[in-house]
Amino acid sequence: MRVIVGRMKISRSVAFLVVAAGFFIYQSRQALTYAASSEAPAVSQAAQTSGAVSGTSPTHSSSPVEIGRGVYQENCSFCHGREAQGGETGPDLTRSKLVISDSGGDKIAEVVRNGRPDNKMPRFSFSEQEMAGLVAFIHAEAAKAQTPEGGRRGVDVADLQTGNAEAGKQYFDGNCASCHSATGDLAGIASRYQGLELERRMLYPAHAKSKATVTLPSGQQITGALAYHDEFTIALRDEHGTYRSWKASSVKYSVDSPVNGHVDLFSKYTDADIHNLMAYLQTLR
Amino acid sequence: MKALKNKFVIAVIVCMLSFMFADLLVAQQLDTAGLVHPSKDSWPGYHGDYSGRRHSNLTQITPQNVGNLGLAWAFQTSQNATIKSSPLLVDGILYFTVPDNIWAVDARSGHEVWHYTYPPNKGEHIGQRGVAIYKDWVFFVGPDAHLLSLNAKDGTVRWNVVVADSSKGYWTTEAPLIVGDHVVVGVGGDLDNLPGLIKSFDPDTGAMQWEWDVTPPTGTPNATTGGTTWMPGTYDPDLNLIYWGTGNPTPVLNGKPRPGDNLYTCSIVALNPDTGKLVWAFQVSPHDTHDWDAVETPVLVDGTFNGRPRKMLIQASRNGYFFVLDRTNGKSLLTTTFGPVNWTLGIDKEGRPIPNPDKEPAPDGRFIAPDEGGLTNYRSPSFDPKTGLFIVDAHPSYSIYFAKPADGDYGWAGADYDLWGKGVLEAIDYRTGKIRWTHELGPGGSGAGVLTTDSGVTFTGDAHGNVLALDTSNGKTLWHAGSGSPMQSSPITYELDGRQYVVIGTGGVLFAWALPENYAQSKRHTAPNN
Repeated sequence: MRVIVGRMKISRSVAFLVVAAGFFIYQSRQALTYAASSEAPAVSQAAQTSGAVSGTSPTHSSSPVEIGRGVYQENCSFCHGREAQGGETGPDLTRSKLVISDSGGDKIAEVVRNGRPDNKMPRFSFSEQEMAGLVAFIHAEAAKAQTPEGGRRGVDVADLQTGNAEAGKQYFDGNCASCHSATGDLAGIASRYQGLELERRMLYPAHAKSKATVTLPSGQQITGALAYHDEFTIALRDEHGTYRSWKASSVKYSVDSPVNGHVDLFSKYTDADIHNLMAYLQTLR
Repeated sequence: MKALKNKFVIAVIVCMLSFMFADLLVAQQLDTAGLVHPSKDSWPGYHGDYSGRRHSNLTQITPQNVGNLGLAWAFQTSQNATIKSSPLLVDGILYFTVPDNIWAVDARSGHEVWHYTYPPNKGEHIGQRGVAIYKDWVFFVGPDAHLLSLNAKDGTVRWNVVVADSSKGYWTTEAPLIVGDHVVVGVGGDLDNLPGLIKSFDPDTGAMQWEWDVTPPTGTPNATTGGTTWMPGTYDPDLNLIYWGTGNPTPVLNGKPRPGDNLYTCSIVALNPDTGKLVWAFQVSPHDTHDWDAVETPVLVDGTFNGRPRKMLIQASRNGYFFVLDRTNGKSLLTTTFGPVNWTLGIDKEGRPIPNPDKEPAPDGRFIAPDEGGLTNYRSPSFDPKTGLFIVDAHPSYSIYFAKPADGDYGWAGADYDLWGKGVLEAIDYRTGKIRWTHELGPGGSGAGVLTTDSGVTFTGDAHGNVLALDTSNGKTLWHAGSGSPMQSSPITYELDGRQYVVIGTGGVLFAWALPENYAQSKRHTAPNN
């Protein structure tokens, strides 16, 4: 069959070819037409710079605090809050003992560089200028938090005085005395810790150690401070301080965590119980 | 002679057409069909498919052979940020991210094809959940609330548009959701009193198509702000609805300036993807004061409920509740807890938790279960249709929440402190909310996402950095590998060159696991049914 185009007679195949070519050229032109963007940034295909969890690049002479503010807002504010007073999961830096005792970044920089993996804080690689700025910013925020302007935030010792010490003593005798003694291990506890720190340790003493006892196939028993435990490996430091580990499936073992006594109380506490306990513990000075 | 000439002409035509369309034949050009029905050699969107079930029908890896799983390759990013993105696999290339960075990696060799670095910016660098791909283009959000479109071949930027004003406190972290010709993006930003929003952009030009606002504008009397929208939603092509979770109201811990339910914060909303209009909403946490975003994956499941076939939406939410909704109208079918919860007075007749006013943050502290990170968080759960199990990384936990007048009514407006938590994988029967099996994951909590496959294997990770393969029917460990860092992303799987890969990012490394090459081949040739 022949298609008639103008005065030319061409075969159907050729007609199809022409149409197809036209279609293809149309498609290509579509793909090549980019809408111009009003803010196309410089595309950087450079290799990733070493290790940095990104930061600002201070290009002009800002004060260290201003440099630090930029670094802080991008990398720290989510967890530690806009003004370093605590936010999503991150502690209040303005009341942190480490920050208060830090001098020129000697303590802060180490935490920032290494992170706190157990507490899910990542590590960051900042330049010297960025780190100095960050340290300056944190100290500035800590100083600002001390002034009455804008209202003092965070948890003061005075905030935690709503309980009844007598009721707290009764609760203690009924729930805590099986492991603790007001005249023994907890004597003077309120001299060592105050306020929020005391309350957190009271509810869950995260530093408390667990003991592991491993029984080898031979029957030999080894006991020590638990050093590592997952489904597959059990490890302890023995009486000589030596780290020893075993494949969990090859040995029998038990783990003694006295701190679980605290966990068992979580589902039982009322808020009044907690405030009363605090009132009582604060008498143990 | 004429016949030969005709054949010759046809041959020439065929050759020319093949030459002209060669490009299109080789590059599959991920289109809507590829997103609705992903091929087995792809993982084309954050969730894999639109349902959010993170369930694969690949069966090469089975409970019987998963013990042979080994490392095919690892890609090291050589930088500090933890991978929180779900990688995409399209046309043999894997695409994944950390803040400010996209890598394209050859899925066969594990080597870099290209690497894009977003220029330094002041946005919040808390995380990056991955890219979206449509046709030949990659879509990526920068921390500073910008949306970019890049060429998938080489990472060159095509356009860059503003999603929201980062100087006000908005940021963006999520993987965009592609629905038809809509690139749908949400925002983060609850350190300031800002209304949350969802926007749709034209994939070719970046022009904004629609905006849906979660709350009234800042400054509306007695109203709330907030409701960030920082995780990609899911989509039902038959109902033509996108499902999105919204975050907490602001100010965060002080509920007094914002009385009432605070719609539509902490809600699951169904929007029309073409218009952005709200079709229905279900509020997971009316008047939240604990930062419990309801952005966890809204998993779409078709199945029976109380004997009737239902189109459902299931969310295990940060506030400690497990919700089963009818996704055609948002009505509650089941609401129950999936771990310790102590902040409610019960469940109302609409299936919503009733917050206990006594458990709002107070000057002397309130003891709250779960903690602020929630009973679960953004990493994906998985739904396994064969067992009817909704498998989720749970985080039983306790915390103290404080708020006093001096904390003000802006941003966080208070302080909260985690006390204790642990990780446990829970397999929940969706029809009853009962937990059928659990698998302990370790102190502190895990945070790994979950993937299930048709052959009955569950992939996840524990708190210690172990990557785990479990038996979906009972949660027993079948295989593990110590990856060196706890997974903070969700696993994906695909089949390439006849081999099933499971790809998991932990720390700054992307690992690809597979059965040994010889194993896969020998099984194919000898066993009639794998």
